Amino acid sequence: MRAGSGNRGGRALLVRKLVLGGLGLLLLVTSGASFYRHRHLQEAVVLSPGVAEVKKLSEYFDGIRGTINDCNLYFFEGEEPGATVLVMGGTHPEEPAARLAAWLFAENAVMEHGRLIVVLSSNRSGTTVTRLGGAYPANFTIPTDWGQQTFRMGDRWSNPLDQWPDPEVYIHYPSGQYLAYVDIRNLNRTWPGRPDGTLTERTTYAFMELIRQEDVDIFIDLHEAELQYPVISTIVAHDRGEELATFVSMMLSDEEFNIGMEYSPQNLHGLSHREVGDYSDAISLLFEAPEPFLDATRGKTTREQLLTGVDEFVMKAGEHGLLFERIDEGGWPIDVRVGRHTSTVLQTMESWTILNPDRPLSCRGVPRYAEVIERGLGHWLHDPSKAAPGRVVTE
Amino acid sequence: MKRYSRLNLGTVALAGTLLASAGALRAQESPLTAELPALLTSCGQSPGPERVRFFLRRLELEHEFLEQATAQDLIDRRDAGDPFKSIIIVTGASLKGMGAAGVSIRDELARTEALIAEAKRQGITIIGAHVEGMARRAQGAAPGDNSDELSIDAVCPYSDLLVVRQDGNEDRRFSIISENSDIPLILFEKNMELGDVLRRVFNR
Repeated sequence: MRAGSGNRGGRALLVRKLVLGGLGLLLLVTSGASFYRHRHLQEAVVLSPGVAEVKKLSEYFDGIRGTINDCNLYFFEGEEPGATVLVMGGTHPEEPAARLAAWLFAENAVMEHGRLIVVLSSNRSGTTVTRLGGAYPANFTIPTDWGQQTFRMGDRWSNPLDQWPDPEVYIHYPSGQYLAYVDIRNLNRTWPGRPDGTLTERTTYAFMELIRQEDVDIFIDLHEAELQYPVISTIVAHDRGEELATFVSMMLSDEEFNIGMEYSPQNLHGLSHREVGDYSDAISLLFEAPEPFLDATRGKTTREQLLTGVDEFVMKAGEHGLLFERIDEGGWPIDVRVGRHTSTVLQTMESWTILNPDRPLSCRGVPRYAEVIERGLGHWLHDPSKAAPGRVVTE
Repeated sequence: MKRYSRLNLGTVALAGTLLASAGALRAQESPLTAELPALLTSCGQSPGPERVRFFLRRLELEHEFLEQATAQDLIDRRDAGDPFKSIIIVTGASLKGMGAAGVSIRDELARTEALIAEAKRQGITIIGAHVEGMARRAQGAAPGDNSDELSIDAVCPYSDLLVVRQDGNEDRRFSIISENSDIPLILFEKNMELGDVLRRVFNR
């Protein structure tokens, strides 16, 4: 009697183990497939007629060759000579307006004076993962005139699959400043990088080599920020860029939208607006647009919220005076955020040209703020199936 | 086509500031004129002084920008025989700016109080400025942070002239100071008008 009872109990336990094990396996397979699809989603870029050449970052530093961060570099040569500007998207791939604004340049820009270099996925590793435990959508889709285009949603940090483990404390090179451990995978905490460092440090080192070897005059790092962060809707400028950033800020605030200017702190290390300016001849600027999706007080973590920026909980935080940027029922749509960036880049070129008429920068084909809002950014994303042979690359 | 119109707009705005005829400007004389050289500084370490400096440079108005100017700076210039004739103090605080400079709002208020006291001793014209609108007032401040308002209180009531971007005065904060203390107030609407204001103030 007792022995039969024991057999039944043993069988029940075995069944429970098999069921739970099976469920675990199912979870492993489905989530693994999701992670795989995310990491391998191909994003098409239809090259603008203005793109003269697409290079790889490893052409400037061999230590990045063969890694996931050996990203594409889009080179635009002006019809007339002038200065050189580098526009970087994808430093923090959880800030999609930064990548998409750069995308509009890659697919539409034609330089009339000077040179333009565009980067869409400066931390490509960070585009292959979302915030761990954050339940972020793995991708998002932008409607276009010819259908729709899907992009990878990303993270603030490099994927741990590509760089692991993190240290107890991250000691920034070369300043020796102590930073949060996880920021050793943050592309905007590892400037100016080092050739024998981690993947993220080698990536910024490679970009520094690009900036130095190509004699970049203006370096622009595109970002988005939560509304509870005081550095928002602004241009953060290195010392040598303060006059230019001030001029851009005043012009845009008078004519298009309000944008401020902030100094780059001299004692906060690892950030592009400080280190690129300190370790190269380039003027370094960082642009911030508002992204309610990043706010800790947000409600639903959905694709819709990511693209509309509508969030009643963030609005409630605003009613309590907890925000540094305004928000209403209209939210902060992706078109508004992208348009802010395209206008700020174009205004930077124009203001630079007024201040440096002997080394002009001018660009056509890229929409400004009002045009992006009016027609939607998808209007300027082109159909890869209709592109000329050899004019489509993938990110 | 659109790009050229915008580029022209920027050029025209700058050129309008730099090249407008003196005759046209005399029609809108400043309620108070100040002399050069000018000392430009901040109370609160905001980036606002950069806007003023942008136009001072373009207009070639003799000035020195010292982010943390002290009373001793005024004394040193006087002793060197080349005293400042006017001082522009830009109000509005930046936690980022003060953090980078390693100072607190208390330090800023104490420095400014001493600076203004020495300026008054030397008969230097004091111009209180607020040039960044509501972003450098309550809208841009963290909950409980009143450093913007403290910097305004430290400077504006003791100034000889106030120069303020109009949207920063939407609650009539500066109008009330002007009326109560009988200080002339110049309001300007657009950022690019600031250059014209400075030219009028310095009678150039």
